[in-house]
Amino acid sequence: MIKTILELIRNLFKKPMTVRFPHEQIEMPEGFRGEHAYEIDKCISCGLCCKICPNRAIEMIDAPQKDRDKYPKTYPRIDLGKCCFCGFCEDICPTDALKLTKNVYLSTFDSESVIKEPIEK
Amino acid sequence: MSEKNPTAYELLFGPAHPGSGNFSVRLKVEGEEVTSARADPGYLHRGFEKLMEYRNRMQNSILSDRVCVFEALNWNLIHAQAVDELTGEDIPEKARYIRVLMAELSRIQSHLIWYGATSMGLGFDTGFKVAFGYRDYILDIFELVTGGRVYPAGYICPGGVRRDLPDSAKDKIRGVLGKTREMLRKCESFEKTTLQYRTKGVGILDRGDALRLGATGPIARASGVSSDVRSDDPYEIYPELDFEIPVRDEGDAYARCIVGRQEIRESIKIVEQVLERMPEGKLDPIKPKLANKIPEGEVYVRNEIARGEAGIYMKSIGEESPYRCKIRGPSLLHMIPVLEHLLKGAQIADVPAIYWSLNICPADMDR
Amino acid sequence: MNEMDLIDGLELEFGVNAEKQRDRRVWLTVEGGALMDVLRYLFDKGLEHLSAISVTDYPGDGVYELTYHLWSYADNFLVTVKTKTSRDKPAIESATPIWGESAQIHERELHELFGVTFKGNMDLTPLFLEEWDGPPPFRKDFDWRKYVNEKYYNKENEREKPYSI
Repeated sequence: MIKTILELIRNLFKKPMTVRFPHEQIEMPEGFRGEHAYEIDKCISCGLCCKICPNRAIEMIDAPQKDRDKYPKTYPRIDLGKCCFCGFCEDICPTDALKLTKNVYLSTFDSESVIKEPIEK
Repeated sequence: MSEKNPTAYELLFGPAHPGSGNFSVRLKVEGEEVTSARADPGYLHRGFEKLMEYRNRMQNSILSDRVCVFEALNWNLIHAQAVDELTGEDIPEKARYIRVLMAELSRIQSHLIWYGATSMGLGFDTGFKVAFGYRDYILDIFELVTGGRVYPAGYICPGGVRRDLPDSAKDKIRGVLGKTREMLRKCESFEKTTLQYRTKGVGILDRGDALRLGATGPIARASGVSSDVRSDDPYEIYPELDFEIPVRDEGDAYARCIVGRQEIRESIKIVEQVLERMPEGKLDPIKPKLANKIPEGEVYVRNEIARGEAGIYMKSIGEESPYRCKIRGPSLLHMIPVLEHLLKGAQIADVPAIYWSLNICPADMDR
Repeated sequence: MNEMDLIDGLELEFGVNAEKQRDRRVWLTVEGGALMDVLRYLFDKGLEHLSAISVTDYPGDGVYELTYHLWSYADNFLVTVKTKTSRDKPAIESATPIWGESAQIHERELHELFGVTFKGNMDLTPLFLEEWDGPPPFRKDFDWRKYVNEKYYNKENEREKPYSI
């Protein structure tokens, strides 16, 4: 019984554990696995990211008609609904064209924005 | 003409009940006493053993943390050990220390979930919120080291670990251990009153039954079976560490909770020893490769995860995916034979206390 | 008793050749008829804990291979017993008279997923699957990808196209 009362008194003078999100935030460390960032000018179209993905979330597609002269090969299209954010595509890319950022705010009402195209239409 | 007993009915302690998780038990009740119980598993069956036959070794280690999410790093470790024994390659010394460090932190946070869920089942809401609050500090460490709070995405993979420890990790881990000791002090302060009244003398499992029904882990240790895979069948660097195994012999729900709390204390001791002895140096990150065959052979590895004894039997015929991977989880034995045996003759009001004190995980029963 | 004493004892009693794979691991293969005698001999020698029972399917040879993994609390080592049975109507004697309920639950799972009949097991009702009337799903000749594609996937949906290959 004494131990309980001592705990009570100790707790009265402490700061609460809650972090009042979204007014305060805990900072995310480097190396956090969030949304992908793709740089098309570094990509060599090897297709390794498509072969290693465990969930088949990456598909190699052709560029839209208007950009076919500048980008003649196939480029990865990522379906964020199937992705498990494991980071294998970032580890295996030989030219560092695909990286994972710290963005986690991906919830949306619009089902078109779930698929990330390599080139904007 | 037979008379039907008007107080006899069937109660479904089922999957939509707020205190039962993804699992249901059908209780035949007469008045306030349970006469028989029948477990009904299968709500979470995903077919892991068949899924692992189609993926290569790195993709399988991503899959292995979804076998049971509460102890994802422990399942990563046992799968990596199975492949390492088949390939026979050398793991760097620092990688072995990091593996044990992450596995023990995962054990601590799993026991905090156990404590919180038991408190919630008994109606003690404060204990639930405090336990999950202190668990968050450990999840911040996982976020720093592996990149994700709950799913470490195959951090412990065949060949070592995926990334090296960042520089600020050791000091942060020592801070978190201090907070965990604070949590243990709070647990001790309400153990003698609340927990004792609801759980003493409830759900007694004696030593002969524990061995016959196949109980392992903290459940068996609370019934007098003094065995732990980390000291009987050691793996990684456990032979060089110094820790004790808490054993009690009453076998009731109170003894199981006390054993759980004492195991957190032993895990804190292990983490401190690992942090002191870890060698310096840099580790190269392990990248996934496409054509990487596993040599032929068969192995059976055993590990001590937070809930009991886990086992993997892996057989390979020289391809990239294993030919057969059998996963043995501790919860298959705890949820069906042990639970049905303990619930016979119990009162309805004691059913949550017995159920949650067994520390069950429907995910590693169904796989 | 250590591993070498057990290996010598098994050779003397049954004429089987057991081998020591590494520290604390012993593997042996027996014929179907001698399986129950070997298991009872091992139980009497102190191997009280049945860790797992598993079935591997070899469609090329036409056999199912069962493995029993046994652990001894007293002497700290693991013995694995392997045996073969035919793949067409697989039937074998149950280990429940020796190990009780812990063997019964493993055999119930294998009966449902592989179709092996264990003679002497009291309760072989389905465990995980509900209303399943097809072949046992974990056999190598059951094409689960084709089954899932036909039953659950929608061919017109653009996002499900990669899975139909």
